[in-house]
Amino acid sequence: MSKRAVSTLFWQIAIGVGALATWQWAWDLHERVPWLVPELFDPYFVSKPADIFQQFLRMGCFVSSKGEWTLGTTGAFAACIGKSENNLWIATWVTLKNTLWGFALGVSSGFALGLLLGRSDRLSEIFYPYITAFNSVPRIALAPIIILAFGIGDASKVVTALLVVVFLVFFNTFEGARSVDRDHINAARLLGASEWQVTRTVIVPSTMAWLFASLSPAISFSLIGVIVGEFIGAEHGIGRMIIEAEARGEAAGMMVAVFVLMVVGVILSAGVARLQRWLLRWRPAQGQQV
Amino acid sequence: MDSASARCRIDIRGLRKSFLAQQGEVVAVDDASFRIGDSEFVALLGPSGCGKSTILNMVATLIAPNGGAIEVDGAAVVPGRPMRQVGYVFQKDTLFPWRTVEDNIGYALELARVPAAERHKRVHEAIHVAGLDGFAKFYPSSLSGGMRQRVSLMRTLITQPEILLMDEPFGALDTHTKLDMHSVLLGLWERTRQTVLFVTHDLGEALTLADRVILLSARPGRVKDDFQVDFPRPRNAVALRETKEYAELFQRIWHSLGEEFARAHEIGAHTT
Repeated sequence: MSKRAVSTLFWQIAIGVGALATWQWAWDLHERVPWLVPELFDPYFVSKPADIFQQFLRMGCFVSSKGEWTLGTTGAFAACIGKSENNLWIATWVTLKNTLWGFALGVSSGFALGLLLGRSDRLSEIFYPYITAFNSVPRIALAPIIILAFGIGDASKVVTALLVVVFLVFFNTFEGARSVDRDHINAARLLGASEWQVTRTVIVPSTMAWLFASLSPAISFSLIGVIVGEFIGAEHGIGRMIIEAEARGEAAGMMVAVFVLMVVGVILSAGVARLQRWLLRWRPAQGQQV
Repeated sequence: MDSASARCRIDIRGLRKSFLAQQGEVVAVDDASFRIGDSEFVALLGPSGCGKSTILNMVATLIAPNGGAIEVDGAAVVPGRPMRQVGYVFQKDTLFPWRTVEDNIGYALELARVPAAERHKRVHEAIHVAGLDGFAKFYPSSLSGGMRQRVSLMRTLITQPEILLMDEPFGALDTHTKLDMHSVLLGLWERTRQTVLFVTHDLGEALTLADRVILLSARPGRVKDDFQVDFPRPRNAVALRETKEYAELFQRIWHSLGEEFARAHEIGAHTT
């Protein structure tokens, strides 16, 4: 490790520990020096790292409601899980599943639409005003309508996520489909490609490169769509969990949910970034700083 | 070789092409006529902007002419409908960046649904011939310019075209790589003897490779002169340049070409 890397790591850890320590103990100073610690640090709103961790252990059924570790005792973990319908595990699984479905459906329909309109001047001319109009609607505003139409089950979350993702992917694909290199098309034709073969072997792969660039934001958008859907009406999911904790005035519970979402978000982004690198492996290596 | 008696592969008569530019109509090619016999290697030489690439692209069906006629093997060329027996090599790198070397070279065979086993065999032969052994799984982005152009060449040659159209294929390469490519091309061509129409503005390149040099005038491009290049084959791209015959012919054509370069300068043509 270079000297610089060590110093970077030091600062990263120092800032993290410092922030957590401030969060944990700043409120204790509030009594004595009120002007130093803003009201925002009130544990009623933001809880404290230690409490959040305790709450996480309870919600994840790592410790039982009596405060005993479940993992050593037979059946205790299962019993704890069975007690609550929207426990942390089920909530995470449901949110993750709906996010991935919304992502997959949004990306594929956005790609199909983008390709179709990008390669047809006629269609893009006709649909232009509609696309502009729909794109101007904040997608989140549609969430209540979607819940009404599709119910409070998984379908409404997937549809919300799909709608959030589809335009992003559509515009990228559209641009990509319009900027296919004419010489690549000519080269394919001169090598004997039919119209359909040109589409399959030149237009789709070169548009894919643009599609891939939109995957990272798409997965984040998809997660946002699902969470908003769960806020409005859901039986399971992390978003639902946040709403429940809020209703009970449980700051720690909300924080646990947010923390789990952060972990889910990081894992999804990293997974997509990996996928993207593999799909675009033919690209020249970018001049990255070492 | 007497081109008049040989079977005519490409017949161009009174070809004309103009483009609409901001200054109005620009005539790129005006009344160009020539014929190319079977197995003849013809270089189309002229200053930049003389319309030599335009002529080639019209033969390749990429551009529609405004007048005149092009026949390939006795059949009229229809714009937008490439002919089976014609192969084309671009100046620009048009390899598919998302395909590896072997998948680029095998592209045309894939289109023609050649079975995988045979395709693999032919592709690896081509890779070997082009001196690209060990690079089969590489993507174009990790190859040098010279290697990429070899892949391009093999991607076209694997279809075994009887007629090969080449648009300044080595124009973007450095001198050394260019000479190297001349040797590669001479080696390949002297075995297979396709009919070649090779566009270039490099007289040395034209003399090294071709049986015949057709000299185009500055814009609008017309056939100004037609030289036979009778150097014996097989040729050595480097040794050839040291011979007296090469120097003499170079001088003769250079004089004629020089006038056109001067004219092209006056016109201020910067585009090809």
